[in-house]
Amino acid sequence: MLIDIKNVYKIYNEGQESEVRALDGVSLRIDRGEFVAIIGASGSGKSTLMNILGCLDVPTYGDYSLDGTDVTELSDRELARIRNKEIGFIFQGYNLISALNAYENVELPLIYRGVSILKREDMVMEALEKVKMADRAQHKPSEMSGGQQQRVAIARAIAAKPPIIMADEPTGALDSRTGKHVLEILHTLHEEAGTTIILITHDNSIAATAHRIVRISDGRIVADSMNDADLQYSVAHEGGAGA
Amino acid sequence: MKLTQALKMAAKSISGNKGRSALTMLGVIIGLAAVIILVSYAQGQNLAMEKYYESMGENKLTVYAYAYNNDVDLAEELSNYCQQISDCVAGITPNEYVWDVNIQYGVQSLGQSNNSYGVSIGGGVYVTDSYNTRPQFYLANDQFGLCNNYTLAKGRELSYMDIKRLNHVCVLGAATADTLFGMVDPVGKEVTVNGLPFTVIGVYAPKGNGTTEYNENGDNWQEVEMSRMDRIVVFPYTLTRIFNGNQSISDFTVKAKDSKSAKEAATLIRAFLSGLVDMENGNGYADVYNEGVYREEENEANKLQQYFLGGIAAISLIVGGVGIMNIMLVTVTERTREIGIRKAIGAERGSIITQFLIEAAMICGIGGILGIIVGYLGTLIVGKLAFKIVLIPGVGITVGAFAISVALGIIFGIYPAAKASRLQPVDALRAD
Ligand SMILES: Nc1ncnc2c1ncn2[C@@H]1O[C@H](COP(=O)(O)OP(=O)(O)OP(=O)(O)O)[C@@H](O)[C@H]1O
Ligand SMILES: [Mg+2]
Repeated sequence: MLIDIKNVYKIYNEGQESEVRALDGVSLRIDRGEFVAIIGASGSGKSTLMNILGCLDVPTYGDYSLDGTDVTELSDRELARIRNKEIGFIFQGYNLISALNAYENVELPLIYRGVSILKREDMVMEALEKVKMADRAQHKPSEMSGGQQQRVAIARAIAAKPPIIMADEPTGALDSRTGKHVLEILHTLHEEAGTTIILITHDNSIAATAHRIVRISDGRIVADSMNDADLQYSVAHEGGAGA
Repeated sequence: MKLTQALKMAAKSISGNKGRSALTMLGVIIGLAAVIILVSYAQGQNLAMEKYYESMGENKLTVYAYAYNNDVDLAEELSNYCQQISDCVAGITPNEYVWDVNIQYGVQSLGQSNNSYGVSIGGGVYVTDSYNTRPQFYLANDQFGLCNNYTLAKGRELSYMDIKRLNHVCVLGAATADTLFGMVDPVGKEVTVNGLPFTVIGVYAPKGNGTTEYNENGDNWQEVEMSRMDRIVVFPYTLTRIFNGNQSISDFTVKAKDSKSAKEAATLIRAFLSGLVDMENGNGYADVYNEGVYREEENEANKLQQYFLGGIAAISLIVGGVGIMNIMLVTVTERTREIGIRKAIGAERGSIITQFLIEAAMICGIGGILGIIVGYLGTLIVGKLAFKIVLIPGVGITVGAFAISVALGIIFGIYPAAKASRLQPVDALRAD
């Protein structure tokens, strides 16, 4: 099992009047190579769950084992290594570094990974081309639209071809055409590289392209079902052929 | 992550956010320059004091000696002896102050009479005599300029032959020449001194030591730029018959090689004179005064001022430090988010702190160097305006202030990095 969380709670301001149970006892198992959509209303706890799955946050209670390793036991250095090598994270709010241009932002995780400069250049440009942002490589985030920043953030997550990609509303700021294009990229990675994809959305039509749909409400998983295969292909490939 | 990588990353971060980098540098520049200028101003005051003493003849010995025994020509003997001890003595001149002298050129006349006694070289800053009157008349030899730190502007000094032959010649101080001659070149002109014809052979350059003097003119205080030291007239000391009622010379000025040899020279000359003047039987008197002694006393008096200035330096250092700290802390939120992003994409704490450390060191280093430049320029200007000297900050304060402000900059530069890199990435990303 790649991802295995058991009875995970994330409770803010525990014991106070303002207590919020963002995650209220969540258990979830995701296998290598799955394409999972997590869907739910605003405030239901999707981002909270994703942050914990991406090792960006720790649960208040509960266990998390990633690829057989107990994540809660790991040191800061080991967690950094996992975030760098195993997971490509696409944030809901882009989270680009404002002082760096598109190219440098995409390059950053590769630098921390220790990829040589020549290889980096190829990988960065390939990723930027995939999201159709190669012509904006020298632009800073402040010089880009929200959708463009979103695409650079996606390029940053996919550049190193990590085995897991976690995307928090990756199409939220995009028009339907560009949104579809981004979905296509994720599907291609999934099909060609076997990348495990976890995709957060509140859009049913996007969730419908996934193999599995997990529904979350008020911090609890309320539904978890495999998706109809035909629908996946028709949306992801605009009725085209699939595996 | 390699160090070169961290260096590159820091450089990118600096150039990527020029506004923030410039602001931080400005904090360091202002803090450092303020400290350098303030402390240098304080040191400039001491330096101006030193200069004052130097112009007064720092290495000067004043010899006062007379003997009732007429067989002894003290001026001759002292002069000869000083040549023997030339490894510690640079020159000697009689320095006899004489009264009742009147010097006249055309209609211009300057005089000094007995009842205006009370004015002496370097006696005080405030003088109540007008600079148009009361020049000071001295009997001296060819080394008057050397011993009293005068340089010639025109003509020549008294010569050995002038002394030997009792020539009726004189050398004028700058102010005296100015009053008597105005635009006319005094050298070679004939003046009348106490009714006798004298030839002006030279004029000294103004010694103006920069201290402003005042004189009372009616109800108004007038600024007089020229130093009282420039209101002098120097005659061959052998002309005692004309000027000194044929009294022998008793005042001498000895110029020591340097301040170290001044003490040695004083001891030697004192010993020499005691062999020459029979003081025990009341047949004369001799003593040697070292002007450096007064200087030491002055330094004692300055100590309080030194503490005060030290306090100013400490306060300006604190003010500069707080400025640097503020600018560093203003960007904490932004930087905390950046650290959250870096952590989220896989940066280790170590590499984040290394990058921030290098970044802060670069900004503060460059800011520090610019701050030193600004501080030096500011100090030069302050020195020129306040003390009329070329004032240069000391190495100690420059290095010290640089080290402290760069250290402060680095500490407050990596403070957010050290703090934020401990947070969970989401918490750092949520910073506001
Ligand atoms: N730091 C925090 N302190 C207190 N409450 C928080 C904090 N972060 C999140 N929450 C609460 O946790 C709940 C879940 O938030 P979360 O961001 O996971 O929602 P979401 O499903 O991602 O919503 P959206 O679709 O709007 O992004 C919300 O009620 C939110 O108010
Ligand atoms: Mg969310």
